[in-house]
Amino acid sequence: MENRLKEEAGKLLKEGKVDYIVGYGKGTVNLRTSPLITNKEEDLEGLVINPFIANNLSRYPVELKGRVGIVVKGCDSRSLTSLMQDKKVKREDLIIFGVPCEGVVDLKKLAGQIGAEIDRVTDAEKEGENLTLQVDGSKKTIPFRDVIFDKCYGCEHPTPLEYDMLLGSEVAPNLDIEKSLERIKELEGMDAQERWNYWKEQFSKCIRCYGCRNVCPACFCERCFVDVNMPQWVATYATWQDNLTFQLIRTLHVAGRCSDCGECERACPVGIPLRSLQRKMVEEVKDLFGHEVGIDKDAPPVFSHYEATDPDEFMK
Amino acid sequence: MGYKKIKKDQLKTLFNELSKDCSLFVPSGSKGYVGFDPWDGNSADFTEWYRNTTIPPKALFFPPVEAMLRFRKGEAGYEIEELLPNGRPQIVFGVRPCDARALKITDTLFSDTYRDPYYLTRRENATIVGLACNEPCDTCFCTSLDISPGESQDVDLLCSDIGDELLMEAVSDKGEDLLSKMSGLSEASGEEESKAKQLGDSAKEKITRQIDTSGLLDKMRSSFENREYWEDVSRKCMSCGICTYVCPTCHCFDICDENNKKDGKRVRNWDSCKFPLFTRMPMENPRHEKWRRIRQRYHHKFEYFQMNFETIACTGCGRCIRECPVNVDVTEIIGGIQAL
Repeated sequence: MENRLKEEAGKLLKEGKVDYIVGYGKGTVNLRTSPLITNKEEDLEGLVINPFIANNLSRYPVELKGRVGIVVKGCDSRSLTSLMQDKKVKREDLIIFGVPCEGVVDLKKLAGQIGAEIDRVTDAEKEGENLTLQVDGSKKTIPFRDVIFDKCYGCEHPTPLEYDMLLGSEVAPNLDIEKSLERIKELEGMDAQERWNYWKEQFSKCIRCYGCRNVCPACFCERCFVDVNMPQWVATYATWQDNLTFQLIRTLHVAGRCSDCGECERACPVGIPLRSLQRKMVEEVKDLFGHEVGIDKDAPPVFSHYEATDPDEFMK
Repeated sequence: MGYKKIKKDQLKTLFNELSKDCSLFVPSGSKGYVGFDPWDGNSADFTEWYRNTTIPPKALFFPPVEAMLRFRKGEAGYEIEELLPNGRPQIVFGVRPCDARALKITDTLFSDTYRDPYYLTRRENATIVGLACNEPCDTCFCTSLDISPGESQDVDLLCSDIGDELLMEAVSDKGEDLLSKMSGLSEASGEEESKAKQLGDSAKEKITRQIDTSGLLDKMRSSFENREYWEDVSRKCMSCGICTYVCPTCHCFDICDENNKKDGKRVRNWDSCKFPLFTRMPMENPRHEKWRRIRQRYHHKFEYFQMNFETIACTGCGRCIRECPVNVDVTEIIGGIQAL
């Protein structure tokens, strides 16, 4: 897979069909990968595809000037399609390398499973249904499905829907919706007061680093409402009330655009379970409008148009 | 004064005692990330799992948000009430040598031409109890910045974890004072002292990540105009503020007035040079493009701060590497500058 990608990406750059290649390279920390964005052929040797390609790269083509060859997993491809619907990127400016995805390893979960921090793991490889690791010099095998992100259990489109070249053969969905929604069900099980207290506690931690917003491909506003100060919508500083307001409004803004890629939660340095909000919104949008994000690039964005059949119970 | 020691299972009793007369902060993971939290009387087992906090101890002295003053429109004009910290003594237990150095670095800044009463009041009332590192992270590179994981002159009291016990050594008068007030301590043997030293030495050897600071000031200067380099290294940056907020030495802030018709307050909060809107309020952010903002961050740390205060504003704690969602790595960026 990797070799084919290197070869094809090299051709694209050489023939001037793209200005940049956006893929994954080896990270500078054990197991981690890092976005590799380059216009130089010699850098392409560093491209990797493995179960640690966590980043959703679909945000980059919006920022880069020119044509882009980009590597996407299933969820990322749907983010990219959503960006096409919003006219933030043009399909003809992209050459899409699709990676059929069996799930991405959640490093926090992995650390929990092996009872050691990730920097003790020097090597990890997916072998069939298992992940084989070298931890402190000794071999350890754990079931791969135990350490992937929660979002992956609920992934209905592990094979990208939109691509020019598929790297590898299609992967069928391997759903465990219940497991994917575990956290959300837990929250739904709380009574209103309990849930309010829970989120109050969570948002008291927020330091407004805007990691969640800035990694989110659906957050493409040129100037976010929190950065508008005439009028000022929310305080520029972190208070739990305004942190909550910020996140709730963000959740509504990305409704119908969020592909449940989970990057917001992964980026959060203080561990706020942000995906619970986003994933809940994915469910709501599906229930209310029958809309699934990033399926049809020619369809209008769900909240930018009106259908006579749209639910309007809220007005009654 | 020689080395003292305390059994780890006595820490809880010690903390309960210390927290009677002052605010005691210890590493805690109870909120879903590791930070310094007020001692809650529960578990003092952090010595078993703690490597470093996500949010650095700077947050205790330069909090993410603080009200500086309150104002009210009276008949004769505005009445202003300054909201200085109350000066209650605080002990921060478990500060790593890198973070202790970082506090010394921010001290020089906040006590420069303008003495910042908010930061300094808290600092003057604080006793820093350091905890030497036995298990540095693979992202740590403190040794490149003249910091040793096993020792520190930047704390008031230094603890070393030698197994079932913590060895304690006073470094400053404040530390000596605190040590003399602690109960449950016993004298440490020379053997235990050398064990602590050995652990420190082996921790030092475990640190493999590094930056080369020799001649760096000149290299930084000559890299300034190298637009291609800065564009290359900043391409993947998402322009969030994580690296600056988890950095123990980043200290930029914004000040804003919250006005409710007749009264209000002046608040200062952390701000980040990574944000496009940074410094927008007083004038305009001159760094419109992302690469200029990234360049600013590294130049500030490795050039301007060094010019102004004769020290690099980085202690190799590695937080920015650990927390960056796209793995921007300061050691890679500085390495790249050295190789230009």
